[in-house]
Amino acid sequence: MKKFMILIVCSFLVMIIAACSGDKASSDNKNEVSIWVHTSKETTEGKAMQKIIDRFNQEYQGKYSATIEFIPRSGSGGGYEDKINAALTTDTLPDVFTLDGPNTAAYAESGMIAPIDDYISNKDDLLPSIMQQGTYDGKLYAVGYSESGVGIFYNKQMLKDAGIDLSTLPTVDDPWDWNQFMELCETVVNTYDVPAIDMGLNDKSEWLMYAFSPFLWSQGGSIVNEDGTKATGIFNDEDSVKTMSFIQDMVEKGYTTKTPVEKAFQTGKYPMKFTGSWTIAEMESSYPDVEYGIMPYPTSPDTNKLVSPSGSWQYAMSATTEKKEAAGALIDFMTSTESLTEISLANSVLPAAHSVVEEVKDKVSPQMNVLIEQNSKTAHARPALPKYPQVSRVFQQTISDLTYEKNNNIQKLLDQKAALIDKALK
Amino acid sequence: MKNINARENIAAYSFLLPALILLGLFLLVPALIAIYYAFTDYYLLTPDNRQFVGLDNFIAIFKDPIFIQSLKNVGLFVVCVIPVQIGSALGLALLINKQRRGNMFFKVAFFAPVVLSLVVISVLWLYLLNPSEGLINVILERVGINPQPFLTSPDQAMYTIVFVSAWQGAGYQMLIFLAGLQNIPSSVYEASKIDGANKWQNFIHITLPLLKPTSILIMITTLIAAFKLIIQPMVMTQGGPMNSTITPVYYIYQTGFTDRLIGYASTMTVVFGILIGIVTIIQSKVSREDDSK
Repeated sequence: MKKFMILIVCSFLVMIIAACSGDKASSDNKNEVSIWVHTSKETTEGKAMQKIIDRFNQEYQGKYSATIEFIPRSGSGGGYEDKINAALTTDTLPDVFTLDGPNTAAYAESGMIAPIDDYISNKDDLLPSIMQQGTYDGKLYAVGYSESGVGIFYNKQMLKDAGIDLSTLPTVDDPWDWNQFMELCETVVNTYDVPAIDMGLNDKSEWLMYAFSPFLWSQGGSIVNEDGTKATGIFNDEDSVKTMSFIQDMVEKGYTTKTPVEKAFQTGKYPMKFTGSWTIAEMESSYPDVEYGIMPYPTSPDTNKLVSPSGSWQYAMSATTEKKEAAGALIDFMTSTESLTEISLANSVLPAAHSVVEEVKDKVSPQMNVLIEQNSKTAHARPALPKYPQVSRVFQQTISDLTYEKNNNIQKLLDQKAALIDKALK
Repeated sequence: MKNINARENIAAYSFLLPALILLGLFLLVPALIAIYYAFTDYYLLTPDNRQFVGLDNFIAIFKDPIFIQSLKNVGLFVVCVIPVQIGSALGLALLINKQRRGNMFFKVAFFAPVVLSLVVISVLWLYLLNPSEGLINVILERVGINPQPFLTSPDQAMYTIVFVSAWQGAGYQMLIFLAGLQNIPSSVYEASKIDGANKWQNFIHITLPLLKPTSILIMITTLIAAFKLIIQPMVMTQGGPMNSTITPVYYIYQTGFTDRLIGYASTMTVVFGILIGIVTIIQSKVSREDDSK
């Protein structure tokens, strides 16, 4: 009797295990490559990717072919990365897949992705920030297919009404420093009695790292040393203290707030918003009546060097693929001027290569052009560290902690945070 | 005779089988694997280079200030939320226990938050509690109280989450209490009426003692659920301000899936699981002792 029971249980388990072990994503045909992307088929981005793959299959007919699989991610990147991690554990990664910029170092260091220096033909054309983002340990591992950027969106009418001459506002070639920017905030706050700018301080996520680290770079500071092994002595130096004081001042003087009202800029409650290229699309579709412009990042008064954030999703080759030639050809094809232009225009994202900047310049809005110009001239990638998630979180918490009165001693706060980063990097 | 027994056994086991397989596969096996991972340095991206590190992780987590902080936070949460949530659940149950007009409306209203998703509830309260435009602060301002930084002050954020959680969860316990209340035979109350007991005496000497079994069930389930707090802080405060609302489950999630340190996260799960186990055992011991009195 007992034996019979065990038999039944075992056969059940075997069936379940058999059902779980799926097929390998990559097929056995040497010239057929598979690619996973993180968007859904229905988005403009997904449609553009499908078109690029179709063109690839036509152009390389008889030589290579590619199949694309869409694995939509949730807001924070969840669903897609879970699938990648699962595929890694079961050794079923596709030949090519997309990954977010800050993951490059971790994936490269773990031997998940292979260097692709030899397959990319237009390295000189790609923006420096794209190369910086995809490079780890001196080798190119991934190529971003678009860029992102942040600027200060301002409501033209509201600034005019506050007595500001719009023609004196800064440009990418002639940016304002923090002090000049704070004067503008002062004027606006006095006129409207609301925070001058929504800087997204309520969004305690990657945004804080992405958007606020350029202030530190502008000041000449950094988060970790060059080898990425230490933060003490770097993240708690004088440059960091100055940068953090600026951010703290913005909050303490009421120029910005850690609890902004939802959509305050879009609905004309706050005159300015610190936000990225995605808001341009939102303004176009939902708030077409608001007349707005974009000014570049304010710079440190000590250096007057304009630095802006960058980064986005990229293509990389799985290290385990046996079809390196075909996979390399696919990535090169997907990052050619033509493909990049297609995706830039379809998805209204910033271009990733100099030639693409020229292509799209006349086809996008003047606001977008400010971000494109700022991006191609001043973009700085986030640090390429395998322990990036921890480092980023400490930076996010630093920015967030700054906004509490208890933290008037910035030096002490930064000493603590630098020690936390050191611990994570060990 | 023996034959009949055997046949019944087969029937019993085959009924149990689906549940046993599912529980084993999705609860027991992962739990055992987690215990194994707790002794390794498993990094999510290099599954093949797993090394056995002995007790290193266990020593490290007790030196990890954020893990200790998260334990303190969840301790505070549990200590506050249990009386508030169970108290209000009992209060609500007493309110709607009597036959009154419009009772159905109140029943539905009190139960509505339970049906809504926790994320929706959290976002809703996030809007209500906004310091400059939120409804709560606007009302406070009208009556002359300064706007409160409910979620942005390290001293208040956890209490705000306690309140929101109790508000959300109380409806469920209310239903269980209600069932308990309706199980109390009316003859007992009639007898006490003859003895001349007032309402308060009724409540203390009849209602509460007879609700004892229900209360123990509610205590244990609420306690375990409270330890698992993650969604409210995740949506409302992201563990901030200054780590004042980070909870063990949230920290484990972050360490495992954002930082990719599966080994370290597994260690925390094991330790935290043992802690919950101890608390539950103590609790059931205490309530059993009460019973034997």
